[in-house]
Amino acid sequence: MEGEYTEEEFQIAKKEMDQLVQDSLKGREIKPNVMFAKMSDISRAISVSKGLVKWARVNSLWPMQFGLACCAIELMGFGSARIDAERKGYLLFRGTPRQADVMLVAGWVTKSMVPEVKRLYEQMTEPRYVIAFGECATCGGPWFESYNIIRGIDQVLPVDVYVAGCPPKPENLFEAMIKLQEKISGKIED
Amino acid sequence: MPITKINIGPVHPSTHGVLRLAVYLDGDTIERVEPHIGFLHRGVEKLAETRMYMQNHPYMEKLDYIAPMAYDEAYVSTVEKALGIEVKERAMYIRVILLELQRIASHLFFVGTIGNDLGQMFTLFMWTYMDRDKVLDLLQEATGSRMFYVNMRLGGLVSDLPPDFEKRTLETLEYIDNRVKEYEAFIEKNPVFHERMKNIGILTPEKAMDLGVTGPVLRASGVQYDVRKNSPYYIYDKLHFEMKILTRGDNFSRYKMRLLEMRESIRLIREAFKMMPEGDALGMPVKLRMPPTKNKEVWISREAPKGELMMYMVADDQKPYRLAIRSPNFVNLSAIVHMSKGLRLADLFATLGTLDLVMGCVDK
Repeated sequence: MEGEYTEEEFQIAKKEMDQLVQDSLKGREIKPNVMFAKMSDISRAISVSKGLVKWARVNSLWPMQFGLACCAIELMGFGSARIDAERKGYLLFRGTPRQADVMLVAGWVTKSMVPEVKRLYEQMTEPRYVIAFGECATCGGPWFESYNIIRGIDQVLPVDVYVAGCPPKPENLFEAMIKLQEKISGKIED
Repeated sequence: MPITKINIGPVHPSTHGVLRLAVYLDGDTIERVEPHIGFLHRGVEKLAETRMYMQNHPYMEKLDYIAPMAYDEAYVSTVEKALGIEVKERAMYIRVILLELQRIASHLFFVGTIGNDLGQMFTLFMWTYMDRDKVLDLLQEATGSRMFYVNMRLGGLVSDLPPDFEKRTLETLEYIDNRVKEYEAFIEKNPVFHERMKNIGILTPEKAMDLGVTGPVLRASGVQYDVRKNSPYYIYDKLHFEMKILTRGDNFSRYKMRLLEMRESIRLIREAFKMMPEGDALGMPVKLRMPPTKNKEVWISREAPKGELMMYMVADDQKPYRLAIRSPNFVNLSAIVHMSKGLRLADLFATLGTLDLVMGCVDK
C-alpha cells in the first residue's frame, strides 16, 4: 500500500513474480503449459510484488449493497443501464459485507442505525473503504437539527471520499470511485 | 415442531430500505411476522413545526424518495387551503401532468424491484430503470432537478413548462406504452413468475378495509376506492380515466395493478395536454412572510402512487403549529402481518415487494 507505484515498478514486480513461480516449478515433472505452484510460493511471490496487488485492488472495487435512504435510489442508478458501472470494474453490488471492498453510506444515519453500520463495517474484510454519499452522510444534511440523527458518518467510521449533493447524481458517484482508485494507487494524498 | 425465530434485516437486499422483520417459523411455514420499524426516523413532523411554510418543501419531498412530487404537492395544497389561495387554471393542468409522470416513474421502479425480490431477475430492473431515467429526464426538463424537484409554489408552479415539452412527453409516453407491453410479455410468459405470484399473499377486501390499506394494494383486492375518483381534486373530474379493479388480491394482481395504472396515467396525460388552456401558471414568489392565519385547522387527501396520503395542519401565524402526515406506506406495511400467515419463507419477500414500501415514509 505504501509508496509510489509506477509502470516500471509494476513490470519489475511482474518479472520477480514470474521468476519466483519458475523457481518453484524447478525439479517437478509437469507440462510446461500447465500453471502449477505451491500456495506458499504464490503468496511469497505476491508479497514481493506489492505493485501487482495494488493494481488488482485498484481495478476491482466491489461496493456493498447497502442503501439507507434517498441516495440509495441514485446508487441504483449508478449500477443501471445508463451509467453502467460494471464496465469500469465496479461489479454488481454485493449482498454481504464479507465480499465487499467499498461501503457506500447513502442516506441519513439515525442513532438506532449506528451500531448496525459499525457492525457491517467490521464484517468487511480489510482493506476496506468508505464513501460518504450525499449530504446526510457527509454532515447531516437538512436534518442537522433533528434529535435522532448523527451529523455525518465520519463520527463513526473513517471516510475516504465525500460526495456533495442532495442527492448527488450517479455521475458524481462515478467520479468518487475514480478518486478512490487514485487514492488507493497513491496518486493523491489523504 | 419447535418454533424457530429468524431475524431479517435491518440491512437486507430485499427489504427495500432499513426494515427489520422478526419471523417465527414452523419448519418452512411462517407462523408470525413482526415488523420492527424506526431505523430511519428523523422527526419530520417535529422539524416542520420549527420551519416557515416555504422552508418545509424539501422536507416533505424526502418522505417518499421514489415519488417526491406527490408529497410536495400535498403539502403545498395544505398550505394553500389554510391560507385560502386559489390555484391557477393552467397550473392545475401542469401539476396533474407532472404528478402522473411521477406516478409512472414510481410504478416503473416497482416493476423493476419486484424482479429482484423474486430472485435476481435483474434484466427487468435494468430495463425499467432505463425507462424510468427517460421519464426523469422529462421531469428534469420541466423542473430543473432529477430527483427532488421543489417546483410547487403557492397558487402555481415555479416555472411554466418549457417549449416543445408536450411533443417530447408524448413521444416518451408512446415509447413507455410499447415498453409496458414488452414487460408484460417478458414477465407473464414466464411460468416461474406465475408460480411465485399467483394465489400467494392473499389480502381479502374485508381485511384490507379493516386495516386501512389504500392505493393499488386495495384496488387489487377488489375495493373501488381511488381519491382521484371518489373525491376528485384539481381537474381529475374533467378527465376521462377508469378506476381499474382486480379481484383476486394476490401478489399477481397487485403487480398487474401497477401496469394497468401506468396505462391509465398515460391516457390521463395525453388528455390533459389536449385540454390545457393558455395563460399564467406561476405561483407566488418565495417570500417568508405570509398573510397571517391563526389556529386554522385544515386537512387534505391525495392519491399518491403508494396510496392515500393525508396531511393535517394546524396553521400558526407563519409556520405550522402541528403537521400530521398519514403515510400510506405505514398503513400498507401493517398488512404484511396478515398476508404472510401460512406462507413459505421464500414467498415473504415477494409479498413484501408487492406492497411497494418506502421506509423513509414509514418511519417519518
